[in-house]
Amino acid sequence: MTLHIVSKSPFSTQALSDCLESFADGDALLLIEDGVYALQHKALQDLQNTEIFCLAADSEARGLLPSAISCSVEAIDDARWVHLCTEHNPIVSWFR
Amino acid sequence: MKQRTLALCRAAPYGSALAREGLEAVLASAAMEQEIDLLFLGDGVFQLLDHQSPMAIGQKSLRRNLMALPMFGIEQLYVARGSLAQRGLTPEEIQIPGAEITLVDQPGNLIAAYQCVLSF
Amino acid sequence: MSNLKVNAQEIPLDKEGYLRDLNDWSRDVAEQLAAAEGIELTDAHWEIIGLLQDFYRQFELSPAMRPLVKFIGQNLGADKGRSIYLMQLFPPSPAKVASKIAGLPKPTNCL
Repeated sequence: MTLHIVSKSPFSTQALSDCLESFADGDALLLIEDGVYALQHKALQDLQNTEIFCLAADSEARGLLPSAISCSVEAIDDARWVHLCTEHNPIVSWFR
Repeated sequence: MKQRTLALCRAAPYGSALAREGLEAVLASAAMEQEIDLLFLGDGVFQLLDHQSPMAIGQKSLRRNLMALPMFGIEQLYVARGSLAQRGLTPEEIQIPGAEITLVDQPGNLIAAYQCVLSF
Repeated sequence: MSNLKVNAQEIPLDKEGYLRDLNDWSRDVAEQLAAAEGIELTDAHWEIIGLLQDFYRQFELSPAMRPLVKFIGQNLGADKGRSIYLMQLFPPSPAKVASKIAGLPKPTNCL
């Protein structure tokens, strides 16, 4: 299964929409840096049965609370991020 | 097991150096006999568009470089069908002589078949 | 940056000895560049040099070994489209040496 890492805001780039266009069943999504603004984007709510993670340090820094979002997003730390990388293959970076 | 790599080409050809840098990485890999494929997605499909003449903006034609791919042993190119349609392009406008263009409906399933994905 | 002196004309080279500008290229320039590599140009060399320049005009890049071999094979047949043949003409690194003599930039994808 692929781990998709999105690091730019969906409100200013195509990163999230291109990523979702390339999403296969069972893939996981991790939001980091400005990618965490996707928590405010409706595209995320439409994602059913998908594992979605965000880097807690990045979302907290920007005043975003994953718990406040209706869909289930899990806030993780760096160690968990590393663990996710070992569990998934390939890893695709959506940095623009 | 031989490692297969996918280069994900998402950048338009001249607005940034990304498209060219990505292609150079692909050509270097192919020259070193590495197995590498290309998937054009989003604005990356503009790299393939015919009739590019970037002389007046002081650049070399990226399409000319892409046309060298078959010489490097890369004879199959993947293009996201949705990205192409969204930009009003037809497959006829993005042909590369000597290479077969495969339109992909589910890029995610293609990506899943690789051990390594490089994004450009 | 150094210069190559050909027929009383100074021709600029980059630090690795490649022509700065393909427009400076001539057969005399090629012969001097070849001499610096210890190569005396024969018809067999000129044939490859001409095709290298065709490759560059067509694709706007200098080929590494693999594409060079394929291109030569397509144009001159399988006998000449072999790395050993190119190695004999342009030792020790045919893609780099032949590109230099043909006035092309160093192959970027050639490590």
